[in-house]
Amino acid sequence: MTSAPQGSTGPGSHDGSPAGATAAGTAQPAAGGAPAPEMDLAEAIHQVEAEEQEVRPPAAGPLSNVLVAVAVIVLGVAALVGSSALGLGSARSPDSGTFPLLVSALLVLLGLGLVAAARRTEDAERFTGASWLVAAGLATMVGFVAVIGVIGFEIPAALLAFVWLRFLGHESWRSSVLISLGVVAAFYLVFVVALSVPIPHLF
Amino acid sequence: MDLAPVIDGFGVVLEPTNLLYCLIGVVIGMLIGVLPGLGPAATIAILLPVTFGIEPVTAIIMLSGIFYGAQYGGTITSVLLRLPGEASSVVTVFDGHALARQGKAGTALGIAAIGSFVGGTVSIIVLSLVAPLVASFALDFGPPEYTALALLGILLVSTVSSGDRLKAVIAACVGLLLATVGRDGFTGAERFTFGNLQLADGLDFVPIAMGLFGLGEILYNLEERHRSVQAPAVVANVWPSRADLRQSSGAIGRGSVIGFLLGILPGGGATLASLAAYAVEKKRAKHPERFGQGAVEGVAAPETANNAAATSSFIPLLTLGIPANATMAVIFGALLIQGVSPGPQLVTQEPELFWGVVNSMYIGNILLLIMSIPLVGLFVRILRVRATVLAPITVLITLIGVYTVNNSVFDIMLVIVFGALGYLMKKLGFDPGPLVLAFVLGSLLEDSLRRSLLIFDGDPTQFFTRPISGVLLVVFLLVALLPPVRAALRRRRAATRTPDTTPKELV
Amino acid sequence: MTVLVGFVPTPEGEAAFTAGLAEARRRGEDLLVLNTPRGGAPVSADAAPPELVEQQTARAQADSVGLEVRQAPHSGDLADEVLRVAEEADASVIVIGIRRRSPVGKLLMGSSAQRILLDADRPVLAVKPQHDAG
Repeated sequence: MTSAPQGSTGPGSHDGSPAGATAAGTAQPAAGGAPAPEMDLAEAIHQVEAEEQEVRPPAAGPLSNVLVAVAVIVLGVAALVGSSALGLGSARSPDSGTFPLLVSALLVLLGLGLVAAARRTEDAERFTGASWLVAAGLATMVGFVAVIGVIGFEIPAALLAFVWLRFLGHESWRSSVLISLGVVAAFYLVFVVALSVPIPHLF
Repeated sequence: MDLAPVIDGFGVVLEPTNLLYCLIGVVIGMLIGVLPGLGPAATIAILLPVTFGIEPVTAIIMLSGIFYGAQYGGTITSVLLRLPGEASSVVTVFDGHALARQGKAGTALGIAAIGSFVGGTVSIIVLSLVAPLVASFALDFGPPEYTALALLGILLVSTVSSGDRLKAVIAACVGLLLATVGRDGFTGAERFTFGNLQLADGLDFVPIAMGLFGLGEILYNLEERHRSVQAPAVVANVWPSRADLRQSSGAIGRGSVIGFLLGILPGGGATLASLAAYAVEKKRAKHPERFGQGAVEGVAAPETANNAAATSSFIPLLTLGIPANATMAVIFGALLIQGVSPGPQLVTQEPELFWGVVNSMYIGNILLLIMSIPLVGLFVRILRVRATVLAPITVLITLIGVYTVNNSVFDIMLVIVFGALGYLMKKLGFDPGPLVLAFVLGSLLEDSLRRSLLIFDGDPTQFFTRPISGVLLVVFLLVALLPPVRAALRRRRAATRTPDTTPKELV
Repeated sequence: MTVLVGFVPTPEGEAAFTAGLAEARRRGEDLLVLNTPRGGAPVSADAAPPELVEQQTARAQADSVGLEVRQAPHSGDLADEVLRVAEEADASVIVIGIRRRSPVGKLLMGSSAQRILLDADRPVLAVKPQHDAG
């Protein structure tokens, strides 16, 4: 639960201040200082990147990686089937489906390669509780586009902004309402009044 | 060299509208570089609708300003907060932040500004000399050359992309497939449209770019846990001393060269250039231990290089019509929207556009230099704005902005779909850059490939009979096949080595 | 049991720290300084700079009081976070600095202090900064 911002314990205070050491100060000895001179460039860069990784969800397991690879293969196969329906032609006289065929075949091959590498892959992230935030965000966008034709952009935009501010961003009720209204007003002034964009609007 | 078009270009740049948009672009670029979250590619994508109402020259002047402005903006957070705002500012963190901790943040920022200016300007000058030559050379290119060039460009960008190479190539393949959606230029057949009228003319570039880069990035950032928060930094001394300047002069010179060369290479770019320049400086320094402790060269080198590279990465786009990185791909799309097709003929057929854009970079660099220091205070204040407030505003700008392109609600749906795709891609380790790049090059690649096959009467080996396409394809095969082969060999060697080492450990 | 100080780098926060330190000394307990800025931005005026943390460390050491400084950012309501940490650390008292606010000011901007005072399930010590010339 405790964590120190990178600069909170300066280089001098690591040593000999038992009462004042923040818990994370010992975990990351170089966090408050420059990379040690002996650390070479690649390691130093890895350290900076690792700090970026800290705020992201953890890596996904091999099963997820296999699933992703399978999805790629399925996409490739689907495109393969689609291309053959378009007419494969030949090298001498390429047809509509020739190029898509080549690309989808390559896609299937690469997907198989992904399956083979699934155990070693570490750059995919796990879906966590935070991923529901993303789902909610997408839902607000879908809601926005669903009703914009009917009731104009003002209300969906205000609602979207409010949901993002209050529920996804944990801003206070007061701020969320005020900022949402302000944003919609600004958009109205810019797009409807100033630029006369023919966007569906209610007011 | 005929100087008349170059002079005319300056005339174009000095028009008040263009100067204004140059300023706007550079400021927005710096802002974006400072703010963690959105990058230059995403911002340019989101601002694509703005380019519709203005002249092509003006639009590209603004968009390029955003690009090289962002290189400098990322430096500010690197130096003050140890937070690289852009990937190309990661290396600046080491010495830049060390200087800031010694109370010399102003020195670091000043050196970075000067280095950026010099690097950018040198790059522009060389670009002005080299670009017309490359373009005239490329005028002889036929379909086979373009096929090879497009293939190589896509491969190089996938190779040096952030993240897994295999996944990047997969992303590129998806991009190529997306490019086939719509009516086939050769046969008139409808491909992958599923009977949808909106898809009959193909997928529009703007919703794809805005969705993948803009919405995708914002959605991806929603999952981020809170970073630690720092107190506002105070920037005291503003300019580097004469001694500092003298010490950095070599680094700046070398950085310019390294940056220029690596920027032209598709897939190279600002990030690679900053890394290489730093490594070179450290290696040739008499006291390499100084690096990481506040050596001015450690700031001057990468900052010079990344601006030089950002500038020179325009060359493949403006002379060959091949984007060198994701941001250039978006600018490529912006040109297409404006009805300008980038390629070797751009220099001769649209000299005002070409030289207008190139010469605007001088002005942009001067603006960067002038404004960088005074605006630092402003940027530090900007850093206090919470991402949770910026996110919905950016989302709405994207959703409404994409509507203004074609007045089409379908485009909003598309941008949301690609936003979801962009999120999934980033989450699962697929870089969206190669997808966009392959998408914009897809039609070119397929066209050239089909024409080439017609020329060669179906015999693909004839690619190698032509010198240029042959060389390019050989390079392509090398880049494609060497690394995985080497990696596989390395793994086998490591596997066979371990039985040998264990007896030693037992002893 | 520990003394919890809700700290921001303002005169009110300083007053809270001083009072909290004295209180910890009086009770013979450790001091927990909670400096939690609003998360989501890289920079916040509410975050205490490292020099300030060092000063506080030195002052605590001089008074032989065990000190822990927590600077993890929070999302949501500050009052909720303070109360949550008080619960987690089993604070014997919560020390906060307060500032006079006009009725309109309280309406427009809420008051974390008010929330803490009203919702805490343990003693709260509210202090104001000293305005003496000495």
